[in-house]
Amino acid sequence: MTAIFKRELHSYFTNGIGYVYCAVFALVMNLFYYLNSITMYQSSFLYIFNIMLIAMIFLIPIMMMRIWSEEKKQKTDQLLLTAPVTTMDIVLGKFWAAMCVFLISLSLTLIYPILSIIYGTPEPAITIGNYIAVILAAGAYIAISQFMSSLTESQIISALLSMLTLSLFFFLNLIFESTDIDIIAQVASFLSIITRYVNFFQGMFSLSDVVYFISLTVLFLFFTSRVVDKRRWS
Amino acid sequence: MIKINNLSKRYGPKVAVKGISFEVRKGEIVGFLGPNGAGKSTTMNVLTGYLSASGGSAAIAGFDVLDDAIEARRHIGYLPEQPPLYFDMTVDEYLGFVYELKKAKQPRKKHLEDICSRVGLTNMRSRLIKNLSKGYKQRVGIAQALIGDPDVLILDEPTVGLDPNQIIEIRNLISSLAETHTVILSTHILSEVVAVCKRIIVINDGEIVADDTVENLVTNAEGAMSYVAEIEGDSDEIIPVLAAIEGVEDISPDGENTYVIKACEGADIRSAVFLAVAQNNLKLGSFTKMQSSLEAVFARLTKKGETDV
Repeated sequence: MTAIFKRELHSYFTNGIGYVYCAVFALVMNLFYYLNSITMYQSSFLYIFNIMLIAMIFLIPIMMMRIWSEEKKQKTDQLLLTAPVTTMDIVLGKFWAAMCVFLISLSLTLIYPILSIIYGTPEPAITIGNYIAVILAAGAYIAISQFMSSLTESQIISALLSMLTLSLFFFLNLIFESTDIDIIAQVASFLSIITRYVNFFQGMFSLSDVVYFISLTVLFLFFTSRVVDKRRWS
Repeated sequence: MIKINNLSKRYGPKVAVKGISFEVRKGEIVGFLGPNGAGKSTTMNVLTGYLSASGGSAAIAGFDVLDDAIEARRHIGYLPEQPPLYFDMTVDEYLGFVYELKKAKQPRKKHLEDICSRVGLTNMRSRLIKNLSKGYKQRVGIAQALIGDPDVLILDEPTVGLDPNQIIEIRNLISSLAETHTVILSTHILSEVVAVCKRIIVINDGEIVADDTVENLVTNAEGAMSYVAEIEGDSDEIIPVLAAIEGVEDISPDGENTYVIKACEGADIRSAVFLAVAQNNLKLGSFTKMQSSLEAVFARLTKKGETDV
């Protein structure tokens, strides 16, 4: 797993995708920060996490779209899949490398809490809670996007599928909010990323929300390894 | 070392490999020969665990490629048809990655140095793979297969894209590897098989049509011997003379004053022909045994039903 992790991370920063991802991420965040906190004098910067979660719906699929299709195109999957490692090792190596790039981009936002410590009223517990929520959500986003990339050889289709699925998960409760059937609304709300995130946002740290994000991640990592393995049988 | 039992592989309705079985012992170099689309690469992909078999089984060093996949793959060095290279890495970075991926135990620096000098990459180690020529990319592919010193090497068309000098170098390399490794290499270049392999498995249309040493394959496949004789004179006069010789099966004129004489199986007709020609006062210009080449054997085996070559 470490070999694949290192290679993936290396490739993010030699083919430029890692830099571009971090730059676009920082640009979007800073733009909103500028508009709200600097020009509007809004003291709390917590809205930035909402924007982050929505921006990631579009950025992470783009970062992840080549992750399997490129291997197939260059036939390097033949090296990986005939090496003495399990498919799950490969999937995990790719997952942690993407996580690492995300954490680098996230570290760029640490400037906001620092500024709020200097110039405003810091809210340490809620800030930390929000950071944890965003990291957990990113794990799920990356796992889902990797899964979509394993499904298709087309990078565009993979990116669009991931964006669609992520949006669906994100807005699930809003989509079914007005339904009369109570059970559907409840299930939708249970599965929705928003519902889970709102708890963190309000400073409530519940184990079931953490388990939700981790399960989603593990489930899609497992699906990915099944899809890759299944190709051996086709 | 390698044991394949009734192996088959289907792609949807198409059967690419139809229940083949063979065994390769330690230290053998086996040439896997067949026209394009015969099932060579598919068989190799199943052996290395890249694809799963639809039926039958395969084992490497006693480990089933399906049930003990990881253990079996530990014993394999595989060069696929298209070398699996990451273009954004240098040769050194790439080989280091493969070293870690395979969890090789050999001392890293020395092992990689040895391999690079063996395949002639020493001067290219800091170059980006995407900037290498096709021949060098192929060498990186071979180097990658050698990492970790696997017992079994599976090489899918190892000399494709190399220039004639490189081809000879790589063939020598493969021959030298055979002392300590078991090698299967696929190719459709016949001279390569003759140069490198002791044993040939010919596969056609998903089935093994021959599995023998090079010499046996040539002698057995041809069966009866044919000779070319150049005899001056009237063919109406010559043919009955030749036909009367014991052991001659068929005579066919082949250009002016030239005849192809086919002997019955097992018969040696050479001295009888000399004698008959001399006794009838005919002039024998030349008399040669027709060489049955591997090309002819290959064509016959893989074209069944069509005209003999």
